[in-house]
Amino acid sequence: MLGAVGGFAHGPHAEEGEPRSAAVTTTRVLAVRLRWYERVPWRRVVLVVLGVAIVAVVVVGTMKTLGLPEAQRYTGQNWINFVARGISQGAILAMIAIGYSLVYGILKMINFAHGEVFMAGAFSSLFFADAYARSGFLDRHPVAATLICVAVAVAASVLTAILLERLAYRPLRSAPRLVPLIAAVGASLFLQNAFRGFFGPQPRGYPRPQVLGGQLSILGVPFQRMQVLVFVVAALSIVALTFLVTRTKTGRSMRAVAEDREIASLMGIDVDRTIVVTFAIGGVFAGIAGVLYAMTFEQVQFTMGFRPGIAAFTAAVLGGIGSISGAALGGLLIGLLLNVGPALFLTGFGIPSPFSLRDAFVFLVLVLVLVFRPGGLLGTGEPEKV
Amino acid sequence: MTGQPMSSWIRAGLAAAATSIFLAAVGLIERFRDLNLVGEEVTFAGLVMAVVPFGVGYVLARPRIERGERREVPLPRAALVGAVAGIAAGLGFGAAAVAVDAFGVDRVRAVFLNVTEGLIELVTFGLPPVAGAGVLAVMSGALGALGGAYRRSPERWRRPLGTAVVAVLVLGFLQRIVPIALDQLNLERDWLYSRRTGGLTWPGAALAAVVAVLASVVKARLAERWRDLADRGGSEGAEPFGGLRLRTALFVAGLIGVAALPQVVGSVVSEVLGTVMVFALLGLGLNIVVGYAGLLDLGYVFFFATGAYTLALLTGATLNTFTGQAEPALSAELGFYLAIPIVIALAAATGLLIGAPVLRLRGDYLALVTLGLGEMVTVLVKSPWLTPLVGGPNGMRNVTDAALFGFGFRSPQHFYYLGLAFVLLALVVSHRLAASRIGRAWTAMREDEQIADAMGVNVVRYKLLAFAMGGAIGSLGGALFAVKIGSLTPASFEVIVSIQVLGLVILGGLGSLPGVVVGALVLVGLPGLLREFEEYRFLAYGAALVGIMALRPQGLVPNVRRMRELREEERAQDAWARASIAQEREDEEEYEEPPVEPAGGELRP
Repeated sequence: MLGAVGGFAHGPHAEEGEPRSAAVTTTRVLAVRLRWYERVPWRRVVLVVLGVAIVAVVVVGTMKTLGLPEAQRYTGQNWINFVARGISQGAILAMIAIGYSLVYGILKMINFAHGEVFMAGAFSSLFFADAYARSGFLDRHPVAATLICVAVAVAASVLTAILLERLAYRPLRSAPRLVPLIAAVGASLFLQNAFRGFFGPQPRGYPRPQVLGGQLSILGVPFQRMQVLVFVVAALSIVALTFLVTRTKTGRSMRAVAEDREIASLMGIDVDRTIVVTFAIGGVFAGIAGVLYAMTFEQVQFTMGFRPGIAAFTAAVLGGIGSISGAALGGLLIGLLLNVGPALFLTGFGIPSPFSLRDAFVFLVLVLVLVFRPGGLLGTGEPEKV
Repeated sequence: MTGQPMSSWIRAGLAAAATSIFLAAVGLIERFRDLNLVGEEVTFAGLVMAVVPFGVGYVLARPRIERGERREVPLPRAALVGAVAGIAAGLGFGAAAVAVDAFGVDRVRAVFLNVTEGLIELVTFGLPPVAGAGVLAVMSGALGALGGAYRRSPERWRRPLGTAVVAVLVLGFLQRIVPIALDQLNLERDWLYSRRTGGLTWPGAALAAVVAVLASVVKARLAERWRDLADRGGSEGAEPFGGLRLRTALFVAGLIGVAALPQVVGSVVSEVLGTVMVFALLGLGLNIVVGYAGLLDLGYVFFFATGAYTLALLTGATLNTFTGQAEPALSAELGFYLAIPIVIALAAATGLLIGAPVLRLRGDYLALVTLGLGEMVTVLVKSPWLTPLVGGPNGMRNVTDAALFGFGFRSPQHFYYLGLAFVLLALVVSHRLAASRIGRAWTAMREDEQIADAMGVNVVRYKLLAFAMGGAIGSLGGALFAVKIGSLTPASFEVIVSIQVLGLVILGGLGSLPGVVVGALVLVGLPGLLREFEEYRFLAYGAALVGIMALRPQGLVPNVRRMRELREEERAQDAWARASIAQEREDEEEYEEPPVEPAGGELRP
């Protein structure tokens, strides 16, 4: 983190807090004699203090946790479980993050309601999963049943995403940047409450095929079957997406629109259609992720999209928004952080039930990434400032 | 006559049908079939079913602007368009009902909770489904035609009529509130509200309509007189209300009205008004951040929560535990008025501290970061870690009632005055700020940050200042909230608070102080009065946010200065349009109203 501070301070994007240019600074100094407190770069001081504090907490916390007496310490098996859970949750987050990333790449806009697209898929497929569980079809033909659930979820998510684009975002495409963001916040609230109205406010149990219940031993390490499935599905679909974006005509037009919308349209690319396709792809991924998430936690609710949505957005930003591999990497890191971080960093301080603070971790990471490295880990530096 | 083809009318009708189906599926029709607004005939369910086809006719008949000229749709055509769209809407909705009936209501209901036998019966008027759907289509067509015709009727009829309908409906909706207020005043209520149906009586509704028509006519007269005066005098300063003395009298009367309000309306409404005060205060704070400085803050609940909890801790509130209560790990026993300055100072300092690292971020990133900070507070307040300090999920109780000379402010009618005092204070501060050098710096920064920077505005300093001042006022809102309810639970400090406050600032109009008050009244006051619709409150909120952004980004009561700028721009455009049109058709003696484009207010990052 500290390295990031240093790199940032010397970066090419230094702005108002930093000395602007030699000329301006000199005139200032000549014109008015600055008092001492005016000469201190407060912003940078706050940043450095913040960075140091966080690094200190992480290091000290880790050492303390690992140095706990035998009785209170987590076992090796605990840690393996945390990591396995982290990877599988990270895979789900990566799939949601892709939706944010693609839309951002093309429209330079944060689709705040993407968490609800995810929720729409999971919730809509519940009724099929539920019916199959009751008729026994889910356990007799788990593959077929799950595939149907995924198809339903994908359809619902894609429909939601397309409607969202068509009704809430397209009319605002040329508006100042904050206008669509506020509309997106509204759309998110609207979708949540529409689903609440349709299907009721209470959380609903989501069935999982029995096949996915047990454990699976890989290289002698026991994993939950569900976790393995999640990881494999996510990996395959991300590979497929990479192929789509780099090798197909659709992918090429998406990249062209992302590069420059006007020129792309001059080159004969149907921009509106490309944008719809982008939203739809985000919806496909959100739908798949929705079923995986619902089967992992065996529960759905109309508010289920909010926190994973923010976590996935954080993942997208952490990896470098606009990049697919960045979303994948960011997702994994955030998943790990969510599931390992609280135990590793906080237990040592004697904080009771550290996992209750896991969401705070996500927000902290979001703040830190945006402050110290807005371009993300795989990004090309800072996103431009308007 | 150019116009749009029939297929587009039908498409609009089908969109209306989809809207009706949506409204039915979320339960806005069936659940309110017994909510009588006027007599037994006008129920809320019926209103919803009627409004959609009427609305589609109304919208389709709107005047179009072609090549800078406003073209009205002729009346017969407007009615025809409305009828076609209305029939399409009715057929779509009816077809859905028939399909559900054929498929089996119970099977649909297993998924969509609100699709019941009752709903189908309501939509098909108790007839066999297919026949009912036909009737529905015919009625929708009639309503659509009515909507189109209404849109095209002359303004001097349309205004009073619309006012009358709105007035009657508002009174109908307030059936839980107005009778109580009448009882409070020892006035007879049975002529206005029926005890049996709960809603307005027909004679009462008629009377309300007549009063509304009269009021509307008088208002139109006054406005006309004002316009005459302005035209004759050529100055905007001419007054329709006969000068200063009358205005002072009106002002004093208004003041007395505001002061006497809680005594008149009773404690239920006073309670709602208290909540409005708290949110108005929050709105005023956020208005500084978003409206003046142009920084979108989605985590304003941060300051709300810090304000509330700091005040509670400073004034010796206790923690709720399973066994009773406990002292917090850290607390003081100050009085409310001693604690308030500390709360404000702390909030301002926190604003500076969290503002410093994040303020360089571009608008939408800033929004997300603030959202994260707001959520962090929610998580922390709930966490077992901070339970010894703030009570965790159980919260705190025994917050001070801010007693002044032995006069406590806990009861709703008393709290109103405390809230009013702080809101007025914040209004004055905001007003003065807007006119000050600081306010101008904020405006410059909001309009164009780079240029402001180049002009010598210290952008970082003014951003931080906005954050700190906004935070201070927001924390005041939190502190008042704590006084109002006397106990704190984390459930009151969710992200929805941030969105509500942002919503009311945006609804009212960014940077507009009357807008904040209106926004608070509409978005907080109205739902407080219409408890029946509690479940649908946030659905409406979300739709409103999207709708405002698309249709009226400047808000309901736009910022005066920005409006003036817009109007000047419009005048210049009018002059230009007049000149060019006059040239185009020299032979025509008179021309229609110059084109009036909807004034597009802007929200700048």
